[in-house]
Amino acid sequence: MRAGLFGLVLAAMVAVVAAAPALAVVRVVATTTDMAALVAAVGGDLVSVETLIPPATDPEAFEPRPGDLDRVRHANLLVRVGLGYDFWLDPLIHRVGDKRLMRGGTAYLDASAGVPLLEIRGQSVVSEGGHAHGVANPHYWLDPENAAIVTAGIVEALARFAPAERDRFVANRERFLAQLDARLQRWRESLAPFAGVKFIAYHNSWPYFARRFRLDVIDFVEPRPGVAPSPAHLAHLIAQGRKAQVRAIVHEPYEPDDQSRLLAEKLGVPFVRLATSVGSLPHTEDYFALFEFNAAMLARVLGTPRQ
Amino acid sequence: MEDALSLLLLPFAASVAFVLIHAYFGVHVLRRNIVFADLALAQLSALGATVAFAGGYAPTSPAGFGYALLFTAVGAALLTFSRGVARFVSREAFVGILYVVATAATVLVIDRSPQGAEHVKRILIGSILTVGTADVAKFIALYAAIGALHWFLRRPLLAISSESQPQGRTTLAIQVWDFVFFLSFGVVVTSSVTTAGVLLVFSFLIVPAVIGTIFSRKVHVVLVIAWGAGILASVAGFAGSYVLDLPTGATMVAAFAMVLVLAGLAKALIFVEAARRSANRRIAGRIVIASTLILILASSLWLIINPAADQPLVAAFEAATGLGPAHFLKASDRDIYESAGRDMLRFQGEVDRLNAREKAARYEGAPLADDEIRRIASYQQSFNEMTRGEQYVQDVLRGKARERERWAVGLPAAIIATVGLGLMWGQRRLSERRR
Ligand SMILES: [Zn+2]
Repeated sequence: MRAGLFGLVLAAMVAVVAAAPALAVVRVVATTTDMAALVAAVGGDLVSVETLIPPATDPEAFEPRPGDLDRVRHANLLVRVGLGYDFWLDPLIHRVGDKRLMRGGTAYLDASAGVPLLEIRGQSVVSEGGHAHGVANPHYWLDPENAAIVTAGIVEALARFAPAERDRFVANRERFLAQLDARLQRWRESLAPFAGVKFIAYHNSWPYFARRFRLDVIDFVEPRPGVAPSPAHLAHLIAQGRKAQVRAIVHEPYEPDDQSRLLAEKLGVPFVRLATSVGSLPHTEDYFALFEFNAAMLARVLGTPRQ
Repeated sequence: MEDALSLLLLPFAASVAFVLIHAYFGVHVLRRNIVFADLALAQLSALGATVAFAGGYAPTSPAGFGYALLFTAVGAALLTFSRGVARFVSREAFVGILYVVATAATVLVIDRSPQGAEHVKRILIGSILTVGTADVAKFIALYAAIGALHWFLRRPLLAISSESQPQGRTTLAIQVWDFVFFLSFGVVVTSSVTTAGVLLVFSFLIVPAVIGTIFSRKVHVVLVIAWGAGILASVAGFAGSYVLDLPTGATMVAAFAMVLVLAGLAKALIFVEAARRSANRRIAGRIVIASTLILILASSLWLIINPAADQPLVAAFEAATGLGPAHFLKASDRDIYESAGRDMLRFQGEVDRLNAREKAARYEGAPLADDEIRRIASYQQSFNEMTRGEQYVQDVLRGKARERERWAVGLPAAIIATVGLGLMWGQRRLSERRR
C-alpha cells in the first residue's frame, strides 16, 4: 500500500517534470514569490518560473545555495525586486559571469524600473540588517496598481526572448489587469470605511499598501529595519498609540511577535498578522489571494467595535 | 515614565528569578569547568522545539515542550558521558562539538519547515522585555521545585561537581548524579532561553558566579555575592536600556560585563591585604597612564602618516572639545565648510518635508497621482545628490584641515606622548635599580 502510493506520487512527479519543458518556452528565475506570481500571470503556460527565495521564508535571512547558481545560469530571464531588497543576487550574477544576466543585459529585469517610488532617503545605500531601505522603500508590489507597471516590464523582457509570442503575453497581461482592476474595486470598497485609520506596524513594509487603501501607519515597532525595540521606544509607542488612537498593530510574518503582541495588549487594540508576500501566510498562494487575505483580515479586525 | 516602569517590572521580576537559579548552576558549572554546557543544552532543546515545529506542533504546546525536553535529556546523557571522554580529550571540546552540531542540525531542520526560523531567531536574541505574568509565575514555580530538589541533594551534587574523580563513589552513582544535574540544568536553560535568549542566559549563568568566585572559595559566600551582583547588574541593564534607548538583551549583557570589570577592580584595589593594595593601585595608575599615552602616540603617528584617512581619536577629540576641522582652515575655506554643513541640513530637511507631504496625502485630502509621486521622488533624488555634493566638499576641506593638524597637532602630541612614556620607563628602571 505504502509503496503503491509512493509509486503513484513518483509517477505524477515524473509526469509533471516531463510535461513542463514541452509547454514552457521561457525559463524565468524570479527572486521572490511576488515577482514569480506576476511573471506567471503574464507568461501563462509559455513560461516556467522558479523562485530563488522559497515561499514562506524570511527574504531578509536568505542565503543562496549551490543550486541557485545553476538556476541563475540557465535562466532565460532573471526578474528581481531591486532597490537593495534582493542585494544577495548581485554576487550570484557575478559568479555566473554571463553578460546577458547582468544589469542592462537582455535577460535581466529590475522590476522596480518605472514604479513611482516612496520614501526616498539619501545617505546610505548600505543594507542595515537584512534588506536595505536605503534608496527607497522596496515593498512596492503591495500596491496592486504597481502590478501594471511591473507586468509591462515583464512583457517587454519576455518578448525579447520569444518575440513570436508577444501578442499572447500582451493578451495575458490585459486579462490579468482587468481581473485585478475588478478585484481592486472590491478591496477598496471593503476598506473605504476605514480611510485614515491609524496603525502601528512591526516593519516598514506598508507605505505602498497604505497609499492605495488610504491608511496611516504612524510608527514602527522596530526603530530601524532589523533592530529590536528598546523599552524607551516601546514606552514611546504606547504613549503615541494612545494619543493617535491607533486601531490595530500590524505584524509581518517571520518576525518574532512578542513585542507587537505586548504593544497591542497595552493599547487594548487587536494584533493582526498580514502577508507581505505571496505565500508568506496560508491562503496567500497567488497575487490576488495576497490582497484578498489582507483586505479581509483588516476589514474583519477594524469592523469589530472597540471594547 | 509610568509606562516604562509598568513595562520593566515583569522583566525585572523574571530576571531576578533567572539570576537566583542560574547563578547557582553557574557555581557548579565553573567547578566542573564546562562553561559552554548551557549553550549546548539550550541549542539541543531548540533543536527539539524545531523538530516539533517541523512536525506541526506549536512550540508552546505540550508536544512541543515534550520534544524540547526529550532532546534536552539526550543532551544531558551525552554530557554525562563526557566525564568518561575527559580522559582522552578536554570536556570543553566535546561540549563545543555538541553545540555546533546541534546548531547546524537546527538550521537544516528549519530549511524543511520555514516558519521555524522565527522560533530560532527568538532563541538567539530572546525578548525578556515582553515576558508575561503567567510566564514569570511558571518560572518561579519551576525554579522553586528544582531549587528544592538541589537542596536535598546538595551533598552528592556538590561533591561530583568539585572533583574530577570523586572518591568513595561507584561509577554508576557518579553517572546517576551527573545525569540528574545535567537534566535539571537542561530544564532550567530550556525554560529561560526562549525568554532571555542564549546570550543573556549565558551571562546570568557565568558572570555572577565568576564574580562570587573572585571574592571567596566558600560555596555559600560565593552564592550570596553572585546573587547580589547579578541583581545589581540586572538593575543597571534595565536602567541603561531605558535611559540610553538601547535593546534590552544586549544592554544587559554589557551591564553584566561592566559589573564583572568593576568587581575585578574592587578586588584588586580595595579587597586585598594592605601591603598588596598600594602596590596594586600604583600598577593600575601606571597602566592607565601608559595606555593613554600609547593611544595618543599611535593616533598622532597615524595622523602624521595618513592625514586623509579616518582618524577616530582626532574626530572624538574634535567632537568633545568643539574644535572642529573648521578651526584649522583659512577664513574663506572655513566659510565654505560651514555653509556646506548648513546646506546639507537644509537639503535633508527638504527631503523629509517632501516625505511628510507624500505620507499625509496617502490618507488625507486628494490622493497624489503617480506622476506627482514620481516628481517628488526626482526632487528628493536631486536633493540627495546635492547633499552628497556638499558632503564631498566637506570631506575635501576636512582633509585640508587634517593636513594642517598633521604638523600643528600631530607632531606636538607625538612628542609629548613619547617624552611621557620615556619618563615612565626611566622611573621604572630607577626604582628597579634601587631595589
Ligand atoms: Zn523592508
